[in-house]
Amino acid sequence: MNEDKGNQGQAWIRNQVMAQGLCTGCAACVGLCPYQKFYRDQTAVIHECDRTWGRCSAYCPRGQVDLGGLRTILFEPRDITPELGAVKGLYMTRSTDPEIRDRAQHGGTVSTLVALTLKEGFIHKAVLAERKNNQVSESVAISDPDAVASFAGSKFSVAPTVAKFNEISQGEPSKIGVVATPCQALALARMRAYPQPGDEERMKNLALVIGLFCGWALSFRELRRLIKEKAGADRIQGMDIPPSQHKIMELHTEKGLIEIPMEEVQTCIRESCRYCYDLTCEFSDLSVGSARSPEGWAVDRGWNQVLVRTDKGQALLDLARSRGILEFKAVPPENLDRLKAASLGKKNTCMIQLEEVSGRKEDLIYTRREAILCQ
Amino acid sequence: MSIVSTGAKGQTALLMGNDAIARGALEAGVRVVAGYPGTPSSEIIQTLADVASNHGLYVEWSANEKVGLEVAAAGSFAQLRSLAVMKQVGVNVASDFLLHLSEYGTRAGLVLVTCEDPGGLSSTNEGDSRHYAKMMEFPLIEPGNFQEAKDMAAWGFELSEKVHNVVMFRSVTRMSHASGNVVLGEISPGPSKARFQFDGDMMDQMGGPVVTFPGMVDPMHRRQLEKLEMARKIFETSPFNTYTGPNQPDLLVITSSAASLYAREAIDLLHVAERVGLLKLGTTWPLPPKLLAKHLKTSEKTLIIEEGMPFLEDNIKALWTELGPEAGTKQFFGRKDGPLPPTDELNPDLVARALAEILGLPAPTADQAYMGRAAELAKTHAPFRAMTFCPGCPHRASYWLLNSALKQDNRRGFVCGDIGCYTLGVIGCGFNTLKTSHAMGSGTGLASGFGKLNRFGFDQPVMAVCGDSTFFHAAMPALVNAIHNRADMTLVLVDNSGTAMTGFQPHPGSSSDASGGELPSVDIARICEAMGAEVAIADPFEMERAEKTILDLLDKEDGVRVLILRQACALSPGKKGKRLFEMAVDENACLAEECGCNRLCTRIFGCPGLIWDPEAKKTRIDEVICVGCGVCASICPTGAISKKEVAS
Repeated sequence: MNEDKGNQGQAWIRNQVMAQGLCTGCAACVGLCPYQKFYRDQTAVIHECDRTWGRCSAYCPRGQVDLGGLRTILFEPRDITPELGAVKGLYMTRSTDPEIRDRAQHGGTVSTLVALTLKEGFIHKAVLAERKNNQVSESVAISDPDAVASFAGSKFSVAPTVAKFNEISQGEPSKIGVVATPCQALALARMRAYPQPGDEERMKNLALVIGLFCGWALSFRELRRLIKEKAGADRIQGMDIPPSQHKIMELHTEKGLIEIPMEEVQTCIRESCRYCYDLTCEFSDLSVGSARSPEGWAVDRGWNQVLVRTDKGQALLDLARSRGILEFKAVPPENLDRLKAASLGKKNTCMIQLEEVSGRKEDLIYTRREAILCQ
Repeated sequence: MSIVSTGAKGQTALLMGNDAIARGALEAGVRVVAGYPGTPSSEIIQTLADVASNHGLYVEWSANEKVGLEVAAAGSFAQLRSLAVMKQVGVNVASDFLLHLSEYGTRAGLVLVTCEDPGGLSSTNEGDSRHYAKMMEFPLIEPGNFQEAKDMAAWGFELSEKVHNVVMFRSVTRMSHASGNVVLGEISPGPSKARFQFDGDMMDQMGGPVVTFPGMVDPMHRRQLEKLEMARKIFETSPFNTYTGPNQPDLLVITSSAASLYAREAIDLLHVAERVGLLKLGTTWPLPPKLLAKHLKTSEKTLIIEEGMPFLEDNIKALWTELGPEAGTKQFFGRKDGPLPPTDELNPDLVARALAEILGLPAPTADQAYMGRAAELAKTHAPFRAMTFCPGCPHRASYWLLNSALKQDNRRGFVCGDIGCYTLGVIGCGFNTLKTSHAMGSGTGLASGFGKLNRFGFDQPVMAVCGDSTFFHAAMPALVNAIHNRADMTLVLVDNSGTAMTGFQPHPGSSSDASGGELPSVDIARICEAMGAEVAIADPFEMERAEKTILDLLDKEDGVRVLILRQACALSPGKKGKRLFEMAVDENACLAEECGCNRLCTRIFGCPGLIWDPEAKKTRIDEVICVGCGVCASICPTGAISKKEVAS
């Protein structure tokens, strides 16, 4: 499939992505031109661009994406599974540094790997998300390995990660690693696989994509509404979804702890997350999420699951093991199937939603049914 | 100095209508002049302000038209001939006071000049203030040529003193802004001593307190009607009502003001002077019934030609029915039932076509060769001028920022606006940011209302813009209302340091008077703070900082925020002709139509100082009109546009 087919420039972004509630806020279309800007957790069109071809729609993860073509270019065909994309192996890891583990949501694997790549010079800059306050995240580019740990922990709203990559990749040549959510990783994959004219050079800077498992992100406005409803004018000191049952959100206010049931939190999920098929960040070199054993939560609390997808990802994980900065644990044999089932569950939900909004069975706005299922 | 001031008695001068009106006032010995600028009226006050010291006048640009009329009325009450000047929309502002004023009446002559804008060439409406004369029962006069503009302006003061009431003098664009020969009269020195008498009783118009009062309404109203009756009698024999034509014309034309010039031209063009009678009225309210009856009887067909609404048409028809059977059968033509158009400005061609239709003549055709040549010349000699902000206009930068902030905020926020150069925010040059535009100050009032709708599920951010002059003119009460009622809104004061659209007249925030003398300026920011608003000040040319300020203000909930975006008008006396930066375009860095720019500067930003070169496919600076504000360097995505400070 020709990647340029159907590239309608900003008109696609406006009419097929934003107007349909599909914009993920990955910010791939931000920073390449002055027509889109990112604010808080949303990408906005500031002025209309009348070009019929544009990098915005070429890179948009909700542009017309040839998922199959991308998989063929970026992964080894034999690794590709229908449920999880390319899989070279599934691991359970955690940082050997208790301080990092303490800061992290789970096992601190991402922080450990990013610090390692910076230290080893595999990458010169890492693009990470920073929880700016309780409702907004920002993207930062750092080069100091010791600074990585301070960015650990969960984020509730999307950060303009790809815009930050766009910004620094247009500067002096340097190797860049990006910690990305599935939508951000897909945008980066489109850039890597099909760099548009003028972008060939800057895309050589993209050296590594560490993916994050992602169920959903919260909408800044909705979250702010919920917090105001729960805490009124009280100052918010902290906010977390403890990695236990994932049944409540904790809101730490100056007057004490408020627990918000997850059903209420879920009313704040970004609309676009309903149209996402990707739980495990398929378009990364390796992707990292929480671990959950058949025996229950408590068993693997504080551990990560890592899906290695490329040789580069494998080499990085092996290096971390050899340096003794990641601890490994045997993965229960059921885990891969459980992960596949969970991933398939998200794909099915996504397809139902896309069918509803598009009114079609196969041609699901940004991609085709069979491509979502890695067929 | 202007001939308006220096021209000797008997001298013939080529005068613009507004200058003729100013000269007429000087010849009448006017002492106090006040009003608010507005096209096509603004030159009258400015002309008089420029000669104020030579003739011992007090001239001011007032905060608004109501205050202007009040200031002029105070002059009249203190025995000085006084003049209030405004455009048609200003009469609406002044009308509250006008109702009271005309009920009580005046002492020394008081003339209210209204310059109106049929077709809305420089207005957003075709308001016709003549109806106020009928509604509020005071005399109305309208000059039919430039000599009359001077003579009737002077006579207006006499008339006002005869009937002891305000006289409305109505001009229109083609009377105010066109020029003609005027034989000058003598400038009267006028009295120099002002004194306000109030010792008499309430009905003693020349010596009692000047009040309208419950219980006095009926006797005062009766007295007012007597004044009107007096005016009617004077008008029956006024030399400003003229008739030319046969005794028994095929068609009687009744007309007034600039329309009388079109009627004369059309009669001449069609060679129908033998068939058409032309009754030109200079006194249009109250109508002189005997004069009209005499002429109405001479013809079965009457065409009424007037600028504005069918004011004469309706009132002449009413008069005809009052005349009863003796007036005979009549067929009326005009704007109401045609053949004249019901709206828009008239011109000689429209009038000639109407005349031809009624008289059964072929429609006059223009000289095709002439028209063709004119069209050709227009192509090469008249440059295309888009309706847009001037090069270096701070409003372009302000709207750029407001649009950008509102789009980023992403809640379908909008801006309510009103009248000023910044009305252009409605169209592309202001990035279509304005979503309402009405009367001066109405943007703030509407925002006050929108800002209270949250209980009905309304969640769009509300902003208003108003200019610095408009703030004093009409936005202050709206802002007070919004603050008191805790509306959720942001008022953006686009402060360009003057009444820019009408020619940079000073306003209460300025530090000079109409004649250039020093005055204390009233501080907008301190007023807003004292009212209880949170006030921020930013420079729209410092785009990054200003945009952040707007985004932060949009984030606040409940209560009123005021943002003053301060940057002087590019045409302001302090800036005009001075270039701050030399601008240049680096052709190699200019992305032009490529992805990443797509001509942002010439296609979207749209400053006329930037030119798209379609052959080279690059942006260029128009060295002639670029004022070097430097803003385009901030919006260029690649830094291809650079600015270099001009050594001062």
